[in-house]
Amino acid sequence: MDQSISEDELIAVCGKVGKILLTSGAETSRVEGTVEYIGRAAHYDISCHATITALFVGVKNQTKTHLVKVRLGDFNLEKVDEINTMSRKFVTGQIDFAELKRTIDQIDKKVIDFTWPEKVFGAAMVSVAPMLLFKATWADLSLAFFVGIFGYLAAALSSPRIKTPYVAAGLGGFTVGFLAAVLQSLGIATNAGNIIVSALMPLVPGVAITNSFREIIDRNTISGVVRAVDALIIAGSIGAGVVLGVGLSGIIFHLIGGGL
Amino acid sequence: MKVLIELIVSFASTVGFGLVTNVPRRSLLPAGITGSLAWVAYYLVLQVDNGLILPNFTAAIVIGILGNISAVMFRVPVNIIYVPSLVSLVPGGILYLGMRSFTLGNEIRTGQYMFNALTIAIALAVGFVVAEVIFYRIKPFLLRLLAKQRER
Repeated sequence: MDQSISEDELIAVCGKVGKILLTSGAETSRVEGTVEYIGRAAHYDISCHATITALFVGVKNQTKTHLVKVRLGDFNLEKVDEINTMSRKFVTGQIDFAELKRTIDQIDKKVIDFTWPEKVFGAAMVSVAPMLLFKATWADLSLAFFVGIFGYLAAALSSPRIKTPYVAAGLGGFTVGFLAAVLQSLGIATNAGNIIVSALMPLVPGVAITNSFREIIDRNTISGVVRAVDALIIAGSIGAGVVLGVGLSGIIFHLIGGGL
Repeated sequence: MKVLIELIVSFASTVGFGLVTNVPRRSLLPAGITGSLAWVAYYLVLQVDNGLILPNFTAAIVIGILGNISAVMFRVPVNIIYVPSLVSLVPGGILYLGMRSFTLGNEIRTGQYMFNALTIAIALAVGFVVAEVIFYRIKPFLLRLLAKQRER
C-alpha cells in the first residue's frame, strides 16, 4: 500500500492540510508537526516550514518543494479539530491515503459553521465582559449585550463583501461607538465608554495578540511578529471606527439640539 | 456571591466566544469550565495583589493545566480550549483603548495602555509556558488514569 502513494500526491495533500490549518487559526508549530506526522506515517521524510504567510513542504534530500501562499484568516477551530482527527486516524491506520485525500478536500470546501442565531447569541454573551462586572452599572452591561450584537453583525456581514482589509473591523467599531454614544445622549445609558469597551469584546484582537506572544516565545518569531502587527492594526481600525462613530452621533445631536 | 456571578458571566463569555470561533461542540463545555475557573482564579488573586502580572500569570497557569487535561480527555487540539477560555483575560479592550488614544493624539495615555497590553500578553504567554512544563510532569499519571477508566 505504501508504494501506491506517490511523492507528488503526498506533498500536495500535505500542502492542503497545512493551508487549512493555518487559515483556521492553528499555531505554526502545530501545523509543522501535523504535516510531518502525516509524512512519517506515509513513510516519507517530509519536512515542513510554516510561517503565517507561506508554507513550504518538501521531502528531505530532494529538490522538489511545494510552496503554498496563505492569507491570515478568522478562527475556525472546528476545521483544525477535524483535520487533527483525520490525521490521527491516518497515522493509526484506520483510513488509507485515498480516504485521507478525499476527506481533506471535503473539509477544505465545506463551510463548517454554527448557525447565525447561535453565533449572534455567542457574540452577545461575549459582549458582557467579566472585566467590567461591578465597575459598570448592570443597565449598561445589558445594553452592551445588544450593542455587541449589532457590532458583531456589522463586522461579520461586511467582511465577505468588502475586499479591503481592516475595513470590516472598522465598521464594527463604528457601529458600536455610534450606538453607544446615541444611547448616552438619549439618557438611556450612563457611561458610553463602558458600553463600548464591553461590546467590542467579540471584535477586538486580544486572543490574537496573546497567541502572537506564545509564538514568539516558541521561537516562531516571524509568525509571532506578523500576528502582533496584524492585531495592532485591527485594534487601530476599531479605535478609528469608534472615534468616527462617536463623533458622528455628536454632530447629529448637535444639529438636532440647534434645531430645537 | 460575587464570585458566583463572576463565575457565571465568565462561563457565558467563554462559551459565547467558542460559538464565534467555531469550536467543535464537544469542547464547548470543557472550554467553558476552564475559562470560568481561570477567571475566578484571576479574580481571587486580584483581591490580594492589585497588579497586572500576577493575576494574569495565575489565570494562564490554570488555563494551561486544565486546557491540556481536557485536550487529552476529549481528544481535541489544545488550542481549541485555549482560544475561547482566554477571551475574558486577554488585553483586547486595553489594546483598543490604546489605539483610540493614538487616534486622538493622546501620547501619554497611548503609552500607558500599550504598556499594559504588552505586560498582560507577556504574563499570559509565560504562564502558558510554565503550565505546559507542569503538565508534562502530570501527563503520565493522567494517561494511566484514563487507561484504567477505559478498561472498566
